[in-house]
Amino acid sequence: MTNVNCDQLIDYLNGTLNEEEQKQFEAHLAECPECRDIVDATGELPYLADPVAPDAGMKARILDAVFDEGEQQAPLAEEPKKRDRPTPPATMAKRGFRTSKWTPLVAAALLVSLLGNAYAFYELSDQPDAPTTPEVAFETVDLQASEAFEGTGTAALVHEEGALNLLVQANQLEPTSGDQVYQVWLLKDGQPIPTGAFTPSQENEGAVFFSLDENTEGWDTIAVTLEPNRGNTAPQGEIVLSAAIDPEA
Amino acid sequence: MEKISDALLYERVRGKDKDALEELYDRYEKMLFSYLCKMTGDRDLAEEALQEVFVKVWRGVGSYDEGKGKFVAWLVTMSRNAAVDLIRKQKKPSVPLDEIAEVESTDSSVEETAEWQEKSEQIHQAVRHLSEEQQKMVHLFYFKGYTHETIAEKCGIPLGTVKSRIRLALKKLKTSLQMVQEGGVLDDKREL
Repeated sequence: MTNVNCDQLIDYLNGTLNEEEQKQFEAHLAECPECRDIVDATGELPYLADPVAPDAGMKARILDAVFDEGEQQAPLAEEPKKRDRPTPPATMAKRGFRTSKWTPLVAAALLVSLLGNAYAFYELSDQPDAPTTPEVAFETVDLQASEAFEGTGTAALVHEEGALNLLVQANQLEPTSGDQVYQVWLLKDGQPIPTGAFTPSQENEGAVFFSLDENTEGWDTIAVTLEPNRGNTAPQGEIVLSAAIDPEA
Repeated sequence: MEKISDALLYERVRGKDKDALEELYDRYEKMLFSYLCKMTGDRDLAEEALQEVFVKVWRGVGSYDEGKGKFVAWLVTMSRNAAVDLIRKQKKPSVPLDEIAEVESTDSSVEETAEWQEKSEQIHQAVRHLSEEQQKMVHLFYFKGYTHETIAEKCGIPLGTVKSRIRLALKKLKTSLQMVQEGGVLDDKREL
C-alpha cells in the first residue's frame, strides 16, 4: 500500500525534507504502519557495528556540553578571555560620540543577542561551504573594584562588522545622589573617551550599552568613574571599577 | 522493577529532567557510539556527532512522539544525519565497512555483552536475507554516510530507483528481523 507519502520515507530518513514536507510526512508516518515498521527496523542497524567502549570521560563531556548549551544561549564560558589587571586612568582627551542608556534588563538581553550573533557567525564559519562571514571577536572582562568600593561589574566588547559594541554591567553599586552618574570610559595609552553613563536601579544594578563606529581598535583599558554630573568629556570623579582589555581583541 | 519506557523518559526530558536525559544517554551511549565509530572511522568525530544528537534531544529540536516509531530508531536517524553532516564538513572520506579496526569493549558487563551479541546475531542474520544489491544500499546509506543522492551518483542509478531500493531493502530487513526474533533461528536458505 504504497502511496505518494510512502515515497518520501527515504528523504525523511535522510533528513532532507523541508519543514512543511517533514510535518506532512510525520502525520503520514503516524497513520502508516508499514512506514513505521521500516523506520523501526533502522533502530537495529547499529548492532551491525562492532561494539566500541566509550572512554571513561565521554559521558561527562557530552552531558556537560548538553546541559551547558541548553542553559546558555552563547558559549560564554569558553570564548571570551578574562582579564583582571586593575588599571589607573590618566589625563583626558575630548571627542564626540553617541551614547545611549539602557536598563539592565534590556542591556542584558542585548548582550545575549550580541554574543548570540557572534556565536552564530562562529558556527557558520565552521562550515567550509559557508560564504565569507563577517569577522566577530568578543571579549569579556571582570571589572576590579577600587579600594573602598563595594561594587562589581563585567564588561563585554564585541567587534562586529567594523563596529565596537561595548556593554558594561555592574551591581552592588552605591546609590548616586543628585546629578551623580556612573560614567564608563575606554582608554588608549592613558587617553580616555566617555562611553556611556548610567545610574543604579533600586537593586543597585546598572548597565550601559555603547557602540563605536570608528576608532574601534587599540583600547587597552576600561574604567568606570563616579562623576558629579552627566556629560563630562574628562573624568572628574574617582575610578570605582576598572580592568585591562586586550588591544588586539 | 519495571523499566520505564523510552517514550516516558523522553516526556520527562521535555520537562527538563536531567536525570531522564542521563538515563536515555546511558541506555544508548554504547550502541550509538559504536555505530558512529563505524560510520565515521574516528572516535572524536563519533563523540561530536553523539553530542549533537543529545544536544538536540535536550533542546527539543525535532521532537519525538510515538507516532514516529520507536524512540531508538529516531535516535539512530538523528545520529546518522549528524554524522553525515560532520563527515561532509570535514571532507573526510568515511571508512569502508571492513577497514575499521575492531575495538572490543573492555568495561562492559557480561549481561550487556550478551545482549549486544544477541541483537548483533539477529540483525546479521536478517541482513543475510537481503540480496547483495540490497545489502549494498543499506551499507552505503547507513554505514558510509552517503546520502541517497550520492549513492545515485556513485552507482549511476536514478535517484528514484535508489530510494525505492533502500526502502525495499529496509522493508525486507524488517520482515526477516521479525522472523528471526519470533522464530529463534531462521533457516538461512529460506527465501523471503
